[in-house]
Amino acid sequence: MAEIRLAKLAHSYGNGTNALKPLDMTWRDGGTYALLGPSGCGKSTMLNIISGLLKPSEGRVLFDGQDVTDKDTGARNIAQVFQVPVIYRSMTVGENLAFPLVCRRVPTPRIKARVEAIAERLGLSRHLNSRAVALTADQKQLISLGRGLVREDVSAVLLDEPLTVIDPQMKFELRKILKDINREFRLTMVLVTHDQNEALTFADTVVVMNHGEVIQAGTPQELFERPATTHVGTFIGSPAMNFLPAVREGDRVLVPGAGLSRTAPADLPTTDLTLAFRPEHAVAGGPLAGTVTRIWFEGADQVLALSVGDASLRIRAVAGAETVGAIVRFDVPQDCLRLYHQGRLVA
Amino acid sequence: MKTLYLALKYLAIALWSAFVVFPFLWALTTSFKSANGVTGGATWIPWVQYEPSLQGWQSLFGGVGGINVVKPFYNSLVVTLSASVISITLGTLAAYALSRFTFRFLWMRNSDITFFFISQRIMPPIVLAIPFFLMLRSLGLLDSLPGLILVYVALLMPIAVWVMVDFFNGVPRGLDEMAWMDGCNPITTFWRVILPNALPGLVVAGMFCIIFGWNDFFFAFTLTFTETQLLPVAIVSLNSSVTPWWSLSAAALVSIAPLVVLAFVVERFLSKGGLAGAVR
Ligand SMILES: Nc1ncnc2c1ncn2[C@@H]1O[C@H](COP(=O)(O)OP(=O)(O)OP(=O)(O)O)[C@@H](O)[C@H]1O
Ligand SMILES: [Mg+2]
Repeated sequence: MAEIRLAKLAHSYGNGTNALKPLDMTWRDGGTYALLGPSGCGKSTMLNIISGLLKPSEGRVLFDGQDVTDKDTGARNIAQVFQVPVIYRSMTVGENLAFPLVCRRVPTPRIKARVEAIAERLGLSRHLNSRAVALTADQKQLISLGRGLVREDVSAVLLDEPLTVIDPQMKFELRKILKDINREFRLTMVLVTHDQNEALTFADTVVVMNHGEVIQAGTPQELFERPATTHVGTFIGSPAMNFLPAVREGDRVLVPGAGLSRTAPADLPTTDLTLAFRPEHAVAGGPLAGTVTRIWFEGADQVLALSVGDASLRIRAVAGAETVGAIVRFDVPQDCLRLYHQGRLVA
Repeated sequence: MKTLYLALKYLAIALWSAFVVFPFLWALTTSFKSANGVTGGATWIPWVQYEPSLQGWQSLFGGVGGINVVKPFYNSLVVTLSASVISITLGTLAAYALSRFTFRFLWMRNSDITFFFISQRIMPPIVLAIPFFLMLRSLGLLDSLPGLILVYVALLMPIAVWVMVDFFNGVPRGLDEMAWMDGCNPITTFWRVILPNALPGLVVAGMFCIIFGWNDFFFAFTLTFTETQLLPVAIVSLNSSVTPWWSLSAAALVSIAPLVVLAFVVERFLSKGGLAGAVR
């Protein structure tokens, strides 16, 4: 349980490329975080620096204001779970779970109680005396996870895509277990994932990374409503946000031929502008019109792909009688229109 | 089809077993023969085909014109086991270090250092005979068990390092990292996490060390005179102008006995699944 601060942190693996560009960031004590981003954007690098497996080439790592940059992994008291389950093959499931406590010389009765509690939580009670190698891949991952959770005083639990090997049914269950444990023990948890659904349902703060940079950190709501870059807008939400090339005309920004426009802030550059809105924010009826080119269903809604002037965009609507080729009228509320310059949010 | 396959399989196994067993059988029968029995062609059944004699075995245990094999056997056992244990201990530690930490010595990196160890076994042993002799003499350890143990450690440790480096490289690094995270220091990581995972490697390395150590004749011969005799040297001294096949056969059986026992022990370990799953 600790607040983790990354101060002017940067890392390069020594091959010239910056795996992490300089960044400042604070992970709140007891918060749940999801780290989201494409492959190779530096997510694992960041976690490994926090846990101490990797020494950052620049900057400091602070736990509750204490500089731990030069401390070993063991001294930081971090639990990390990796994509591939790591188990001690020579031990039983129970011994695996007990190992972190045994190493830290916790009294035996206490170990027994903790191991049993955690095993119960993860549904491993029946297997406590089995050899760990004999279990299935997702059970092995539960063991890795369990070894992180047996320590009550752990500073943070870092989960590096731990659910990839777990089957979908179990995934849901596990996320719930993680949430429960977070609430109960008020552990700081960071979950790395490729899956935006997982990120948005698990975390109270979602951190989006790309090319070694943190692009945006915010609540799922903020990420959805005000993506900091066009990249985040594309990455988060399904279907993706609509991005339409726009031009400035006087005090307005508009999408040529589409009828979509909003007021331009003062000192707005005239080139490289994009207007954007969420398919969910379109409302039926209104001044705008488009031809339906494609229809598909997402949950109770349907998504209409429209061509409006030269642009093509998607709107989400309650399932109705629309057919391909029909003209659909819609509107986008002014407060839902976002304006981007060079891919970054302006207004 | 299936029966044919089974029949062929058993035939192959039977042939192979015969190939393996017959030399033993030959040695066993010969060890109970006298000069007459040996020259009378290959015979197998005592009393019927040849008159059994204990002459061969007697000459191993202080009989007329023979030797006493007990002391050399004991010496060989002590030297081989001590040298193997020391080599495995040191070799395993060295191998773990070479597998996990980065070293630099002049231009040499980890792989060069590992190769340096192995290269000790690439040289023909004769090259080492004189240096070893001189070194042991200056230490006053010529013709003594400690001296032989020292030399054998030098010979066996490369094997241990070589086998164990390979095994440790096969144990994922993630395991070390996990152990650190769980609160191990480098020593407990090695002892409680990595070593149990490399147990099959220890068995293999131990087997190699014991076999090489037990079989060595060259250094046992060149570095001793009369005080300390190892089994291979003692056996050779049985030989005379008229080859005593009976004594030599008995000696051969005595000298391979420990290795046969070792083979059975290791075989049990292997078939019990000690190696299964450990070597991916
Ligand atoms: N040991 C290493 N040596 C050199 N470069 C590395 C090393 N590990 C990672 N990198 C590089 O650093 C960058 C960030 O890697 P990192 O593993 O942090 O990405 P990631 O976001 O975790 O990706 P993934 O989603 O695939 O796990 C990548 O470009 C990668 O190629
Ligand atoms: Mg990764």
